Amino acid sequence: MSLERPAAASTPRPWRLGRTAALVAVLLAAVVLAVGLGSVTIPPAEVLGALGRGVTSLWTGAALSPEDTIVWQLRLPRVAMGVLVGACLAVCGAAFQGVFRNPLADPYLLGVASGAGLGATVAIVAGWPRPLVPVVALAAALGAVSLTLALAREGRRLPPTRLILAGVVVGSVLSAVSTFLILRGEDRARQVLAYTLGDLGFSGWGDLATVLPYALAGGGVLLALGRALDTLGLGDLTARSLGVPVERLRLLVVLAASVATAAAVAYVGIIGFVGLVVPHVVRLAWGAGHRVLLPISALAGGTLLVLADLLARTTPLSQVGVVTTLLGGPFFLWLLRRGGHE
Amino acid sequence: MKTLPAKTALAASLLALLPAAAATTYPLTLTDDLGRKVTLKAEPRRIVSMLPSTSETLCAIGACDKLVGVDDYSDFPQQVQRLPKLGGLYDPKVEQIVALKPDLVLVSKYGKLEAPLTQAGLTVVAVNPETYDEVFSKTLTLGRIVNRETQAKNLVLNMRREIAKVEILTKNAARKPTAYFEIDPTPYSIGPNSFMGVLLTKAGARNIIPASLGDFPKVDPELIVKANPELMLGLSRQQAAARPGWSGLRAVKTGRVIELPKELRTILSRPGPRLPQALRGLAQLVHPELFR
Repeated sequence: MSLERPAAASTPRPWRLGRTAALVAVLLAAVVLAVGLGSVTIPPAEVLGALGRGVTSLWTGAALSPEDTIVWQLRLPRVAMGVLVGACLAVCGAAFQGVFRNPLADPYLLGVASGAGLGATVAIVAGWPRPLVPVVALAAALGAVSLTLALAREGRRLPPTRLILAGVVVGSVLSAVSTFLILRGEDRARQVLAYTLGDLGFSGWGDLATVLPYALAGGGVLLALGRALDTLGLGDLTARSLGVPVERLRLLVVLAASVATAAAVAYVGIIGFVGLVVPHVVRLAWGAGHRVLLPISALAGGTLLVLADLLARTTPLSQVGVVTTLLGGPFFLWLLRRGGHE
Repeated sequence: MKTLPAKTALAASLLALLPAAAATTYPLTLTDDLGRKVTLKAEPRRIVSMLPSTSETLCAIGACDKLVGVDDYSDFPQQVQRLPKLGGLYDPKVEQIVALKPDLVLVSKYGKLEAPLTQAGLTVVAVNPETYDEVFSKTLTLGRIVNRETQAKNLVLNMRREIAKVEILTKNAARKPTAYFEIDPTPYSIGPNSFMGVLLTKAGARNIIPASLGDFPKVDPELIVKANPELMLGLSRQQAAARPGWSGLRAVKTGRVIELPKELRTILSRPGPRLPQALRGLAQLVHPELFR
């Protein structure tokens, strides 16, 4: 139950099947709600019909009515993107917290978000075509992480403290450059801000198909590393004596998480909080063993982001990043206090 | 909410005109757009304008030669282009402004210029037209401030006449297309009560954005697909077609997706004396058939 020892357990904690089943049910309910509800009201029967007509239109190429288009081409890919990105961020956050043994670690620790932010800012302020924005953001995000790795490297080693410090500095410097550019290109400031806060508004099937391979590759690697992360939780020395190649493991986690996060951030913007807090919530309810923590975090992250996006598009909060932090923050504090009283 | 003070201000300005005095009497005390009471001891002769629309208005009422400096974005008319550029909203060059020894600095109500300049002993007035009605009331206010009341009154009359000329055409248009106006690809759009929203309606279009969403709302793309507008302004057809679910929309299929020319974009974002041109430019895009 304690946050300070995220990866203390070497024996896997039970899956707590009841809780897991409940979480899966909530995720499914969230998906159904999110496809059914939106700023345009469409009756449930119509939504089901639209899904059917959407599927058949894949073969027939038939034109869809505006309502069908909304369900099939706007809501469904948007919800799918929410699940994917939420899952990605939460898994990457859990892995980072484990590998750095630091409860404050989140997927943006090594400068991915600031890099993506700078790339997007350059593209937006320069007025490049909108479809180029995520491509530039993705390249810049990967560039930023590479820079952090290069700066933190000590011979063949990657000491965690140096990584964190290098990440913070790279992040701050890139953010400062972004701010400078935003102030120079005054009239596009709001566009950049909207990107920075994260938005799933224009996530179509195409974007989803672009992000999916990165997310599956990065997330898949992390999910496979659960046992190794548990061992690493015992400390570098112990882990090494147990045969874990500590340096290679750290590099692998950093690379896998960065690839997945970079793709997510490039296409939906910098959604805060999910990657930081979801793993902590999961640890409170499921324990700290990574073989359970990582997949459950994926489910919980996906659920949170889908619900947050639903609120974002049906209430005046309007920006998913605002919702995750505004509602996620108090919820987490409440959980934390409750945990403390137990 | 905003219209009430605006109307009061308009009424107040019109009342002030009633004596029809050609000359402003100084000292002149007025409440500016930051709600401050400011007294001008005499007719200002060295003015710094930190808003492009203010610069344009001053020049349009014959006070261009009073300007000694402008903000980075003031570029019209040509006379202001050779004046010292004093920064923008976020990065004003306070020291340079003070060094010019202006007897009046006209600032935006946003930004933080007022405090340091007042501290430096300068007279600062915030004038910030934001709604359609305010464009006229603030023009009259500026006229009073710089002792060009008659010119300001004439400018307002002229603007109203030019606007009426366009409105006569668009009011009687056989069909008013439903329109979506995009100000940036987030997407942000404009509500019917905003400055640009009023112009869009006067240009003979039916804005698909309901007033309840506010003046500059961030719009959920679902709403736009549902409204299926006949005309889209502010983006390219290619851009629109690339968005999920938009390729089948009426405007995209018929090719009525129009990017705004740079000049039109500039004057649409400037609540100043070129408002009639902005309206005409917009009306020509909405109803090309009326302007052949």
